[in-house]
Amino acid sequence: MTLEMGFKISHLQSMLLFAVLISIAFGFLGRRRPIERVKYIVWSLFLFLLIGVGIGWAMYPFSR
Amino acid sequence: MADETAASTAPPQDSRSEAVAFVIGVAGWLVPGLGHALMKMWGRAVACFLTVGMLVILGAGMRGNVFTSTGNDAFDSLGYLADLGAGTFYLMARSLETHGADVSHAGGDYGTRFLATAGILNLLAALHAYEAARGRKA
Repeated sequence: MTLEMGFKISHLQSMLLFAVLISIAFGFLGRRRPIERVKYIVWSLFLFLLIGVGIGWAMYPFSR
Repeated sequence: MADETAASTAPPQDSRSEAVAFVIGVAGWLVPGLGHALMKMWGRAVACFLTVGMLVILGAGMRGNVFTSTGNDAFDSLGYLADLGAGTFYLMARSLETHGADVSHAGGDYGTRFLATAGILNLLAALHAYEAARGRKA
């Protein structure tokens, strides 16, 4: 049996999904205590989004 | 000389625990999270399984490129190695992509990155499980 799929996701949604999933994995692998994991996940997610949006704006002058 | 003597007279328990750690690392590579589950690190096991699984499902659903061993250039080969890192989930990605890859739009390109990231993330988790089994990480 094969499963046919097709996700239509925007750039921002893709970046958000990527950042959330990787941050969760890093948080669980890198920290042991639950509160430290949550802090690490939130901080990592913030940095992912900040750097992603920052690079996006940095490329803006060259987009046209 | 002293080091060689120490190495040759290493207790058999060390080599056995090293073998167990290797098996745990390979298990973690084959099935994401299994290495941690064998060591009863349930939170990490579930997190690895779900994040790698989600990345593979999303990547295949976005019609990312699942590289094969018959690549044309070095980048294809590197992509294949990265994808293989997902272990058995690599086979799942191939079976999910019934219509093949479509990287003519941004979604397919993102999907390719998702699949490669799933593999690299799983390799990282398997290495973590291996090191934890050796007692080097908590």
